[in-house]
Amino acid sequence: MSGAEVSIRVNGSPVPLETVPDDERLLDTLRWRLGLTGTKEGCRTGDCGACTVLVDGRSVLACLTLAHEVAGSEVRTIESAGPDPEVDRVRHAFESAGALQCGYCTPGFVLALAGLLKERGPGATADELLEGLQGNLCRCTGYASIVRAVGLIAGAPP
Amino acid sequence: MAAFELVAPRSVDEAVAALRGGPRTEIGVLAGGTDLLLDLDEGRAEPTRVLSLRRLPWRTLDWAAGSLTIGSTLPLRALEDDPDVRQRLPGLWQAVRAVGSVALRHRATLGGNLGRAAPASDLIPVLLTLDAEVELVGPDGARRMLVDRFVRASRRTELGPHELIRSVRIPEPRRSAYLWQRVRPANDISQLAVAVARAGDESWRVAVGGIPPRATLLPDVAEELGRADPDDRRVARAADRAQRDVAIVADRRASEEYRRRLVGTMLRRAVRAVGQEVRA
Ligand SMILES: Cc1cc2nc3c(=O)[nH]c(=O)nc-3n(C[C@H](O)[C@H](O)[C@H](O)COP(=O)(O)OP(=O)(O)OC[C@H]3O[C@@H](n4cnc5c(N)ncnc54)[C@H](O)[C@@H]3O)c2cc1C
Ligand code: FES
Ligand code: FES
Repeated sequence: MSGAEVSIRVNGSPVPLETVPDDERLLDTLRWRLGLTGTKEGCRTGDCGACTVLVDGRSVLACLTLAHEVAGSEVRTIESAGPDPEVDRVRHAFESAGALQCGYCTPGFVLALAGLLKERGPGATADELLEGLQGNLCRCTGYASIVRAVGLIAGAPP
Repeated sequence: MAAFELVAPRSVDEAVAALRGGPRTEIGVLAGGTDLLLDLDEGRAEPTRVLSLRRLPWRTLDWAAGSLTIGSTLPLRALEDDPDVRQRLPGLWQAVRAVGSVALRHRATLGGNLGRAAPASDLIPVLLTLDAEVELVGPDGARRMLVDRFVRASRRTELGPHELIRSVRIPEPRRSAYLWQRVRPANDISQLAVAVARAGDESWRVAVGGIPPRATLLPDVAEELGRADPDDRRVARAADRAQRDVAIVADRRASEEYRRRLVGTMLRRAVRAVGQEVRA
């Protein structure tokens, strides 16, 4: 792949794409190349949402995205908590609500919600936030506590 | 070594030239990739080059004199976020929101949905009821045709080997509605879907989706509805007609019997939903 856009930024740091094969999924770049294993692989077919990351602030399925397709973009993963206010806010709500069991689905849920907060603003309603979670599956089926976390974020139970 | 080489031209001419650069089976076209990458994983396509459309200036949404032109590579989420789409083409808005999840819609496109031409596409039935046209570009310039002509069957369209879908044009705002039935709301595929719309001259369009080989318009059912606001008798006649006429098949998603019952009920509900406030 040639062209001007030869890198992505991941959690603020530039990652050159020259050595990344053209067919590599963003998910594999994050996990295997950069060691950012917080982003999970559940299905690799777009069905589970475990691989959700933010690309320029929007939630995206990293398993169905080629790394080169987001050249020039800012990618945020669960490891970016702290410098990212929305990721942080959601993470704290998950902690307070105890919204995780094994935790495998958690990074995807957190990033999907953080993306919704960025899109819809801090006043996003519980309904708007829940709708944005329709593509995230929890194999421990711990949804009740996740819904409680959404209530904490929205400031009102759904 | 990569399984394919990715090329991302900046101009339409370059993109068309890239398509002509080799046998069609060896070149894949990538928009959002939510269908194509699965095809690659499952060996349904084995291109040696993949043409990415991401740098083409096609992520557009233009309202002009009442008509709407949607660039083929605009992410579906942008279509859903346009307040005019919600207000003036409520059926389209509902259909877009039925596609996958928010994260999927941040990348999935209308061009990709038409390119895939899945029998269960949520967008094709609505486009049929809106008399939407696709614009194709290729080495001999541009051509337009109704979506009804463009879509043939699963993975089969009128797209020529060196052509790309540039845009979709919807001629006028229409009161419209889209209803679907699935086992799960997201990341599942419709067992049956019904789209209805009322044209500017008050005539109706009715289409059903979710049944192989493709979504179809039902002009005889629309005729039963007459013009403007049909009374209960007319709606009931149209629903009966839909149950009789629609070519329904069974597949692993639903039986023939179930679909036949659904089509009447959903048609009645869809007609009644037209003109009512669109709810999220
Ligand atoms: C988990 C999941 C859930 C889904 N749920 C739904 C659903 O509920 N409803 C639904 O309708 N679909 C659904 N889909 C299918 C898919 O997401 C949609 O069809 C989407 O609109 C495809 O767009 P894309 O840009 O990602 O297509 P791509 O994968 O980029 O392309 C799809 C096909 O079209 C061709 N193509 C793309 N753009 C063009 C163009 N401009 N010109 C010519 N050819 C082109 C490609 O070569 C390819 O063959 C789902 C998919 C997944 C993975
Ligand atoms: S791993 Fe990407 S959606 Fe499941
Ligand atoms: S907490 Fe285990 S998958 Fe959700």
